[in-house]
Amino acid sequence: MEQLLDRIIAGFEAADIEKRKDGQVFFTVPKPKVLPLINHLKMFEGFRNLILMTAVDWIEDNQFQITYLLNNPDTKTDLGIRTFIGRDGEGMDSIHELWGHAATFQREMKEMFGIGFPGSPRVDEPFLLEGWDDIPPMRREFDTKKYSEETYFPRPGRETHDPATYMKQKLYPND
Amino acid sequence: MSIKDILSPFSGWKKVFDEPVVVKDPVNDRPGAPRYRGFHRNDIATCIGCGTCETICENEAIDLVPVQGIETRDGDSGLRPRVDYGRCCWCALCVDVCTTGSLTLSNAYIWVDEDPGVYRFTPGVDDMPWQREEKGWKKPEGNYEFYSLKREPMEHLRPEERNDSFAEMVRGFSKEQAMREADRCVECGICVATCPAHMGIPEYIRAVRDDDMERGLKILYDTNPLPEICGRICTHKCETVCSIGHRGEPVSIRWLKRYIADQNPSEKYKQILETGVLDKNGKKVAIIGSGPAGLSAAHYLSLMGYECTIYEKLPKTGGMMRFGIPEYRLPYDQIDKDIDYILSLGVHIIYNTTVGKDITLDQLKRDYDAVFAATGLHQGRSTRIEGTDHRHVYQATDLLRKVTLGEEIHVGRRIVVIGGGNVAMDITRTLARLQRLKYGEVRIITTSLETEDAMPADSEEVVGSREEGATVIPGWAPRKIDIAEDEIKGLHVVQCLSLFDEKGAFNPQCNFDNHRFFEGDMIVESIGQGMDLVYLTEGIKEHLEMTPRGRIRVDDYFQSSIPWLFFGGDIIQGPDVIHGIANGHKAARGIDRFLSGTADKQQTT
Ligand code: SF4
Ligand code: SF4
Repeated sequence: MEQLLDRIIAGFEAADIEKRKDGQVFFTVPKPKVLPLINHLKMFEGFRNLILMTAVDWIEDNQFQITYLLNNPDTKTDLGIRTFIGRDGEGMDSIHELWGHAATFQREMKEMFGIGFPGSPRVDEPFLLEGWDDIPPMRREFDTKKYSEETYFPRPGRETHDPATYMKQKLYPND
Repeated sequence: MSIKDILSPFSGWKKVFDEPVVVKDPVNDRPGAPRYRGFHRNDIATCIGCGTCETICENEAIDLVPVQGIETRDGDSGLRPRVDYGRCCWCALCVDVCTTGSLTLSNAYIWVDEDPGVYRFTPGVDDMPWQREEKGWKKPEGNYEFYSLKREPMEHLRPEERNDSFAEMVRGFSKEQAMREADRCVECGICVATCPAHMGIPEYIRAVRDDDMERGLKILYDTNPLPEICGRICTHKCETVCSIGHRGEPVSIRWLKRYIADQNPSEKYKQILETGVLDKNGKKVAIIGSGPAGLSAAHYLSLMGYECTIYEKLPKTGGMMRFGIPEYRLPYDQIDKDIDYILSLGVHIIYNTTVGKDITLDQLKRDYDAVFAATGLHQGRSTRIEGTDHRHVYQATDLLRKVTLGEEIHVGRRIVVIGGGNVAMDITRTLARLQRLKYGEVRIITTSLETEDAMPADSEEVVGSREEGATVIPGWAPRKIDIAEDEIKGLHVVQCLSLFDEKGAFNPQCNFDNHRFFEGDMIVESIGQGMDLVYLTEGIKEHLEMTPRGRIRVDDYFQSSIPWLFFGGDIIQGPDVIHGIANGHKAARGIDRFLSGTADKQQTT
């Protein structure tokens, strides 16, 4: 593993190396290095499986983080590859040519975060959200509460009480 | 199509003898993973109905509803969360934020019913099978917290810095500290009911968070015109019920109040509080005593347009706040800041005038439309044990008053203080400073009937007394003062076993075989104060209704059976500053109801 890491650091500018339990290692590489690195790992280092792809919205830094989790079934090791892209319309290269099911993860990220993956099959079709008419809901500027208030009718018979007001009514109504 | 594609359906056969990874009966046997987030459970005896779970829920899936059998009381709203599963997304934010840790999720997630109404229930109240399930999601301990469980530390002068000085001990928060402390408040408002003045606590803490000190000050003055004082010495009952206190340390509500008042300079008060010009209504009210109740009444009455005159028997304002509380806890300039503002609203004050001696109550009745008497508890009570008539046996309140007036007091070489309340600690610490100045060492024993855990004094006061060199020995009953050749030799005590009898009446029981002797040449008694009502003339007493326990009967607005005469402060409720403030505020409204004719009672006497 150490030698593998040395190769990744030297060849692909990996940084922020974080070793986790069970042989998992996470690190960050610059966006242009992601595809060459993943290709290399799949072709030459035995990382044949893509476990998942996911994204995190770092709205404060105006960035999305994309994470790829790869697995080498022979050595039972996982690599978590992180990269950062701009939040405003900057897409990411698709890896559906390497793993067909990557298209599904990419379609989900397009729907949930609005991250584009040009060329990825069916990437613009709805994934979970049929008839969605708002901004992608996992973007942090999406106001979940406001959306629920506007979209769903309150169920009849619901009532709530503010604790402080309720306590005043019960304990000191005349003060 | 490649040869691999044709063969692949058969490649599965090679696993035919492996352990199966699929579940045998997928319809009936699909337990959630051990930490799966399924339907809610709530330990309703632990839950306090703070509603934080409701507030955090982004889907508005939670309502707080009254529950039969759960009473609304201090520290518990009596409400409990009800979950609407048409909205819940099982994120478990409600569990992770829950202030008491009562709310968890079970790992049950299968529940099929034709009636959508059943998918809304009150966990822990409506009986659900998963309430007793062990598995599911609980907030992991020590992993992450949505609010800090630890208070911002408050800096105090170190014991060696404060031992021989009366400088203020508590330094107060910096802006950063105040913001961090304010950030711990979840704005549940559970504390508001417990505060005697029902201050807008979550609102003013929010003002600290927003760094809006002017808004903060306005909120304080809505219910409390003595914020510098209360921000220092309030008994902070609110903090005892703070929801954050269930899993961590309660929010430092009192220090945040002080922070707001400290940030606003007195010159700006009138502008911030919009009290530059007050319309007068032509009616006059006399107030007896310039303690917290009297000042609070004067403040709110002035805002309503009444012309107020305070009669004060001492040469300075403040009552017990100035004459009972030592300067190191409550500096005089801070008392003045609060009081000067109230006086600046046009309140007159007549010093060195005792009602009943220098002017009669009947005279006040003639000159004013209403009278509010808030004369407080000033007469120290004596244990009346043998020897208390000796010249070196003192009352704590007398000594504290003299120290404040700058008068010389006798300071013994070895002192025994009798009492376990805050006043006892105040005189202990005051005498400790004076002993250190005079003799260079502290030799004080403070003893109380109550055992350590039952002492009425704030524990920080007891700790402070010890840090400053006094010895505090709780749990002993004074028996007799030993006197030889006209000099005090010490105090005989016996072990106190209990204070109250089965009926709850004060009736100390002692073990006379367990006896101790505390050496000393000066004794100070601090076992409570009584009221001095000499100003009530016979004619007034005749019409004044009393309660069976011998107190003056007042209604909710502190109006007595003599309609023009109102009573409040320590003589009615307390004794503490914040009750006085609350009484004064309520009495001001009562006087207004009475004088503007909105009350039902008519002036008769
Ligand atoms: S946050 Fe916890 S204690 Fe507060 S109401 Fe909800 S379940 Fe009860
Ligand atoms: S101070 Fe404590 S009890 Fe009061 S509103 Fe804040 S969290 Fe709730």
